[in-house]
Formats: sequence, C-alpha cells, structure tokens
Amino acid sequence: MSDVVEKTLTALPGLFDSQTGAARITNRLRQLIKSITELTSKHDEENLIKQELSAMKEQVSSPNTTMKQMREVMVRAMYCEMLGYDASFTYIHAIKLAQQGGVLEKRVGYLAVSLFLSEGHELLLLLVNTVLKDLQSTNLIEACMALTVVAQVFPKDMIPAVLPLVEDKLSHPKEIIRRKAVLALYKFHLIAPTQVQHIHGKFRKALCDKDPGVMTSSLHIYLQLITESPDGYKDLTGSLVTILKQVVGGKLPVEFDYHSVPAPWLQIQLLRILSLLGREDPSTSELMYDVLDESLRRAEMNHNITYAILYECVKAVYTIHPKAELLEKAARCIGNFVLSPKINLKYLGLKALTYVVQHDARLALQHQMTIIECLDHADYTIKRETLELLFRITNAQNVTVIVEKMLDFLHGCNDEHTIIHLVCSG
Amino acid sequence: MIKAILIFNNHGKPRLIRFYQYFAEDMQQQIIRETFHLVSKRDDNVCNFLEGGSLIGGSDYKLIYRHYATLYFVFCVDSSESELGILDLIQVFVETLDKCFENVCELDLIFHMDKVHYILQEVVMGGMVLETNMNEIVAQVELQNRMEKSEGGLSGAPARAVSAVKNMNLPEIPRNINIGDINIKVPSLSPF
Repeated sequence: MSDVVEKTLTALPGLFDSQTGAARITNRLRQLIKSITELTSKHDEENLIKQELSAMKEQVSSPNTTMKQMREVMVRAMYCEMLGYDASFTYIHAIKLAQQGGVLEKRVGYLAVSLFLSEGHELLLLLVNTVLKDLQSTNLIEACMALTVVAQVFPKDMIPAVLPLVEDKLSHPKEIIRRKAVLALYKFHLIAPTQVQHIHGKFRKALCDKDPGVMTSSLHIYLQLITESPDGYKDLTGSLVTILKQVVGGKLPVEFDYHSVPAPWLQIQLLRILSLLGREDPSTSELMYDVLDESLRRAEMNHNITYAILYECVKAVYTIHPKAELLEKAARCIGNFVLSPKINLKYLGLKALTYVVQHDARLALQHQMTIIECLDHADYTIKRETLELLFRITNAQNVTVIVEKMLDFLHGCNDEHTIIHLVCSG
Repeated sequence: MIKAILIFNNHGKPRLIRFYQYFAEDMQQQIIRETFHLVSKRDDNVCNFLEGGSLIGGSDYKLIYRHYATLYFVFCVDSSESELGILDLIQVFVETLDKCFENVCELDLIFHMDKVHYILQEVVMGGMVLETNMNEIVAQVELQNRMEKSEGGLSGAPARAVSAVKNMNLPEIPRNINIGDINIKVPSLSPF
C-alpha cells in the first residue's frame, strides 16, 4: 500500500487547495507547526511565533475575516498559548466566536475561553448571556457545550443567574444533559456552596436516576457532602449498599463493564462513600459487612482495575467499625499487594500498610522484612512510601535501625521538597 | 479531582495542556517543565505514581503517568482519586484517541490539538471524571463530527477523501496503539 497511498495522501490537500479556502486554512496551522518543529533554537522559535502573532493580530482586527478564518486563528492562538506565548488579544474574539458564530464557531470559542480565561476574568461577564442562551437551546450540542463551559470556568457572582437553567436540566430527557448538569451543580457547590443549598433535594433525585451514568455523577457530590459532614447522610447507607450489591452482582447493563468488571469506577466511588459513612459507627457499619465481603471475594481477577477495587475495599474495611473476619481477609489482601512483583501493587500495598498501621501495627511487623527490602528499592517512589511507613512503625526496638536508614535516604535525596516534608513529619 | 492533564513528548514539548485550576501563564510553563523533569528521569520498570512536586501543590497531589513511545500522559490528581483507577482512565483516553484518529500517533495530537481537547472534554469535565466508557465517549464525539461534515460540503471533501483512503480494506493493520515517531508509519503491504 505504502507508495500509492502516501502519494495520494500528500497530493489530496494540494488538489483542493485552489478550489476552497478550507484546505488553505488548515494549511496555515500545518505550516506554522512544521516550521516550529524544524527550528532548533528557542530564540528562533520566539521570533517565528512573534511574527505569527502579529499576522494573527492583523487578521482578527480586519473586518474581512470570515467566521471560518477566525476559527482557524483561534486554534493557532491556542497552540501559541500552549507553548507559553501570550495571545491575549484573541480573548475577546474567542468570546465573540461563541456569541455570534454557528455551532462550530461556538465549539472553538468556548474551548478557547475555557483554556485562556480564569473564573475571575472580567471578560467572562460578556459570556454570560451567550451561555444563558445556549443553555436554553433545543440543539443538544449547544446545550452540552454551555454546560461544559459553566462547569469549567464561570464567574462566581453570576451563578444565581444561571442556576435555575442548570437545575432545569436535571429533568431533561437526554441522559448526557442530566449528567453534565449534575457535575455543573457540583462545581457550583465547590465554589459557592451557599448558592446551591436549597437544591440538595434534587441531588437525591439524581442519585435515584434510572440512568446509572447520572447516578454515578451524583456520587461526586455526595462524596464531597459526606466528607464534609457524614452525619446528615447516614440514611443513604441502605440505598448505597443496595446499589453496590447490584453492581457487584452484575445487574447493570453490559455497556458498563470494563474488561469484564462491572462499573469499576462506580464501585470505587461507592466504597469510598460507604467507608466515610461507616466510620466510628457500629450500626451503620453493620449494614455494609455483607457487601464488602462480597466485593472482596469477587474482585479476584488479575487486572489493574480489580486491584483498584480491592484496595478501596481494604481501606473501607479498616475505616469502618472493625469486624474480625473481614479484617483477616483484608490483611491477606494487603500482604499479597506488598509481596507482589508488580510494582504498582507494591506501592499500593505500602500505602495500605501506612493507613492500616494506626489500627493494627502487627500487620506491618509481619511484613517487616519486605518493608526493609523496599527501602533499597530502585524506585524512588517506593523508597519514599516505605519511609512514610517506617515513621509509623517505629518502636523502642527498631528505632535505631530505622533512623539510620532514614538518614541514609536523606543524604542521598536530591529533592528539597521531600526532605522538608519528611523532616517535618518526623 | 483532577487538577491538570499534561501531554508532552520525550523532549518535554507540550502537546496538550489542560489545567482545571487557574495558574498564570508563566506558572503553567514552569509546572510543565518541572513535571517533565520529574517524569523523564523515571525508568520504564518503576511504578506509575509520583509525588506532585512543589509547584503543583505539594503532598496532597500525585502525578499519575503513562509513557507511550514518544509521549507522556500525565494526570495530576488529589487524594480523592484512585491511583489505579486514574491509570486505567488514561488507558481509556488513549484507546479513545486511537479509535477517533485511527491508529493515533504524535502527529495527530500535534495537528489536531483542538480535536483532542474536544475528546478530552467528554472524558473529564471541570476536573471531574464524566465518562469512562470508550464507546460512549466516541459516540459523543461522533455527534459533534457530524455537524462538521454537514457544514463541510465541498470543503469537507478533502478530509473525507483522506479518511476514505485511510479506511481502505487493508489486511494486517496493526491494532496495537502505535504512537510512533514523526514519520507517518504506513504498514507495508503487498501492492495492488
């Protein structure tokens, strides 16, 4: 295939060049990129970009520039900004593109705005009306774009203006819109919690949404709310346990499977939330023991993602009110991680031990030899994690050895940040 | 929450940069340089996790990265994210890119940076994971592509022709992710 196809591929753009402006348009970007890759010095690159930027400046100020050309200029502007050069003269045009253009212009305009501007930027106020309009659009794509922008960069003070429209989207027939609306509201909660207090009831509705995707998104909010104050949400435990049971039992549609594991990211999210709810609360913990046992049992396959679930299970078991059989199983799991030749698992095993050691120092002592070996590991991250662990299992017997090893490490360590962090925790 | 997603090549040249928390322009460049510095000294057989480095926020933040041939995909996340979960998310993202670009390589990221952003927006929104199923992500992207095609008319023809040629029924197209170097790698097959 090689000869014929390569020739065709390179010839095609040229064939159409004279007929339409579109190929010509993308060629300018290609030209810029090609020229940059051919340059060797930073100085040359600066000069080239400066030239490019002044050409772009002329283009954006000219009344003859079409929307399509403006789109192309915007992509070049994003490219220059990515390399670290200022193209702030394009910011206002990005907003104009989103305001005045068709769907394609909006897409570029919104993307440029979310890359260039920050929440507090004064220009953002000009975007608010456009966003309001698009949120109400019957065009699914426009509404999606508006929701995306609202979740990425939106002025805090204007949230009340847009809130009812976003709230409204929670009952939209299309699943993707409901899902994006949930995440947008979560963002609002993070930056202005008082503004969204009155709609917490709607979050519950999202949690019970018939579509698992929407339900999963609502868990982001609940994880945050429950982290802030678990007591208000204990009543959710029953429903969350049921959901987890159904997921683990394979009741979700097969589209949610990832490498034969049912909705792993959802399982991880649920396990985290449950561990927060069960902490220091025997009666709530009681509700979870079964499903934790089941999860530990099911996550036996050999894939990264099942290890991720196992890790969360283990953490949950150690966070909530203790139950002997579960602790035993979890301890075995951690042992497997720490002894695993797979380095990512070793790392997680060490992390788990560090977490667990507050509850059960014996587990760490059981694996003492492996831990000491890890100190001399080639991987810097493993070494560091081992040190963190060692802090916590220091006792009268092993303190000398451990401090010696630590000093060795600190001598060999070049990273200032690590040194400061470790010395302070010590 | 995800604080930033950085894709750069083996020389530290940025290919896609997305911050979900505001940093001034020069700070962004410093973070890119620091992250590249941290990640490039790692061997290939160490774990995929790193402390976040002082610029990007210190001890609560981790760098989770994957190295594919000439590109590093780095996600900077806080402690609320599962490390292995994010590692697999990076894989999902790359597989999606592979599906959308048909055997994606560094060139595609360079020349279609905006398209990569649109795809990424369907995976991570505002620092939160939106969708983890590759087919769903591709479906959303396809929806947007259709509006491009309908605008195209004649000007859409070169793009369609090129993709038609690329889509010719050729045996033995390697299906593994082949993020190769700058030259367009075309599998050598028997002549027509």
